Amino acid sequence: MSNSLDSYLVLSGLLFAIGTFGFLARRNAISMLMSIELMINAVNLTILAFGAFVAKLRPDAAVIALIVIAVAAAEATVGLAIVIAIYRNRKTPLVDEYDSMKD
Amino acid sequence: MNFLIPLIPLLPLAGFAVTGLLGRQMGRQSHQIAVWAVVASWLVAMVVAFGALAHVGIATAGIDVKLWDWIPATGFHADFGFFVDPLTACLLIVVTTIGMLVHIYSIGYMAHDEGKWRFFAYLNLFMFSMLLLVLADNFLLVFAGWELVGLCSYLLIGFWYTRRSAAEAAKKAFLVNRVGDMGFALGIMAIWTQMGTLNMQAVFARIGAMPHEWQIAIALLILCGAVGKSAQFPLHVWLPDAMEGPTPVSALIHAATMVNAGVYLVARCNLIFQSASEVMVLVAAIGIFTAILAASIAFTQTDIKRVLAYSTISQLGYMFASLGVGAWTAAIFHLMSHGFFKGLLFLGSGSVIHAVDGEQDMRKMGGLARKIPITYVTMLIGSVAIAGVPPLAGFFSKDEILGGAFKNGFLWVWAIGFLVAGMTAFYMFRLMGMTFWGPSHVDPEVEHHIHESPPSMTRPLILLAVPAVFLGMLIGFPPEAGLLHTWLAPVFEGAIALSHRTEAAYTFMGVDGVLAIVTTGLVACAIVLAWRLFGVNMPSIGVNLAPRPDRVREISARPGFAFFYRGSSHKWWFDDLNNLLFVVWGGRLAAAVFWFDRTVVDGTVNGIGAVTTGAGMRLRQVQTGRVQNYALGIALGLIAMAVGYVLIAVR
Repeated sequence: MSNSLDSYLVLSGLLFAIGTFGFLARRNAISMLMSIELMINAVNLTILAFGAFVAKLRPDAAVIALIVIAVAAAEATVGLAIVIAIYRNRKTPLVDEYDSMKD
Repeated sequence: MNFLIPLIPLLPLAGFAVTGLLGRQMGRQSHQIAVWAVVASWLVAMVVAFGALAHVGIATAGIDVKLWDWIPATGFHADFGFFVDPLTACLLIVVTTIGMLVHIYSIGYMAHDEGKWRFFAYLNLFMFSMLLLVLADNFLLVFAGWELVGLCSYLLIGFWYTRRSAAEAAKKAFLVNRVGDMGFALGIMAIWTQMGTLNMQAVFARIGAMPHEWQIAIALLILCGAVGKSAQFPLHVWLPDAMEGPTPVSALIHAATMVNAGVYLVARCNLIFQSASEVMVLVAAIGIFTAILAASIAFTQTDIKRVLAYSTISQLGYMFASLGVGAWTAAIFHLMSHGFFKGLLFLGSGSVIHAVDGEQDMRKMGGLARKIPITYVTMLIGSVAIAGVPPLAGFFSKDEILGGAFKNGFLWVWAIGFLVAGMTAFYMFRLMGMTFWGPSHVDPEVEHHIHESPPSMTRPLILLAVPAVFLGMLIGFPPEAGLLHTWLAPVFEGAIALSHRTEAAYTFMGVDGVLAIVTTGLVACAIVLAWRLFGVNMPSIGVNLAPRPDRVREISARPGFAFFYRGSSHKWWFDDLNNLLFVVWGGRLAAAVFWFDRTVVDGTVNGIGAVTTGAGMRLRQVQTGRVQNYALGIALGLIAMAVGYVLIAVR
């Protein structure tokens, strides 16, 4: 099972689950961004695994993975910028205190 | 002549505007402008009436003075114009003369009232409205005047609006009149849709060519309005309550002018009614039934003004009966003479009430003849006139009505009218006996300061007594060929020609003479009966009888009479019937409708609102404002989608 598609998929599934749990469980905005990164990377790993093991998908997988990395980088930048902007405004990184939209 | 006609209603309107706007500042002199405006209007009206009756500057067929296009809408058109012919002239004489005298009388009667300026402003507005009604040349303008007099009547009945009974009487009058007015309004609409014009003369020219059903429909609807305004059965209930207003108002509006509007309207529309001859019989039936109904109620009323009010209803019934049998001129004759002597009687009763400090119950009067002699003599003249004793005004006009009914073949109308003539004499002399003759029942506190009214009140009484005595001889003699008949012949010749009836000449040595003598005999018996029961003291003709209240009680308790006595004193339960029908049952219906509106209609609307807000309240719980909750939602959604995909893929 060591060098098989299944092991990669299990690993990426675990990584995605950890990312999801982190996103739901952590209150700190930075941690939540990090969790998102983890989920994105889990997805990326899946794509690359499919690319490596299914010959027909190889060229597409590499391209998609690169695009995902680029988008993830942009997402991280924008997300961090938002978090910093809110932090300056509200003096807290904890998302459950961002409640001014609630009636 | 043309420029004078608009002045007649315009002067009181100006008086109303000035008195209404500045009256409060004028204080004790607030009556001046109002009274002078009406006097000026009277002068102009006399000139115009002379012109119309003597055909000086006004043609026999009348003149139509169009002032401007009132409603020049597409598909609808009405002018603002005045029409003067002999019939209008007769009404002008009655309205402006009595109106002027009532204004003068009110100076004394209302001298100490806080709202004197308001009273005179309303009176002037009434004069304007009534003159507008009488002078209007089209139905829409008549209707405007019609509604305005109704409004003034409402305002003046409720003049002492802090008194609950006055406010309620005003409301009652207004509402009952609305019933009739609705019919009149529908009639005007029918006229417009069927004939395309509202100008009266044009309508009368075209009515003959209409389908018979429409002739009947229009006549019935107009009659509906006339019945309401002239207080005929079954809409007579408002007039007695209208006596809550100040007495000059009762005299002017509810005896001499406004209530005549219905009679005037039917007379004016004589061609419409004559072409719907079935409706004519209904007019006669309503009129004569009202006459006997109201006369029977007047027998037992104890409020002096209410006796006169029922008497007014009864006399108006006479006029309707006269119109119904086709004795058009006689109706207008009775309208004029009744206007004068009933105005006199009401103003006299006001003077009596004034003398005994506001008491209206005749059981607390008596023996006033020596204390207020001018009022007594003038009221006696009025009573003799209304009773129909020759040669006073009432004799001639009533005789013409009864003669017309008899000769035009309405024997039943004649028979009932004959009876009513006797009843009229009886209740009027009952009133005189209880008020002026016999022992005094006046409250001792009031007794010692009973005084004759000031000259501003007694002079109008004297001035009204003159036409009450001489009007009949002046315009009604020789019978059925007098001045009035010459004047009004052009107005009614169309209707008379249409009726295919040959007018029999008046024969004193024939049927007419017999009728007159029989009626006069009955009247005389009725007067003597009233004297014997309620007393009389007239040294000048040598009769002096004491009242016999015990005998009155004994007669009214007899088995045959007891029912009539009870019915009469309860006004034949019409107020109770209306109360049951419209207040109790109508109230229940209204309550049911109200319930339906509240629960079903409002319930639906409010229910939709409540469901929406309720759903919103519930759904709002979802929006916690916490990022984690949303994220959880996304995650769960994702899982659900994945599970779904897997399930579908596996199958």
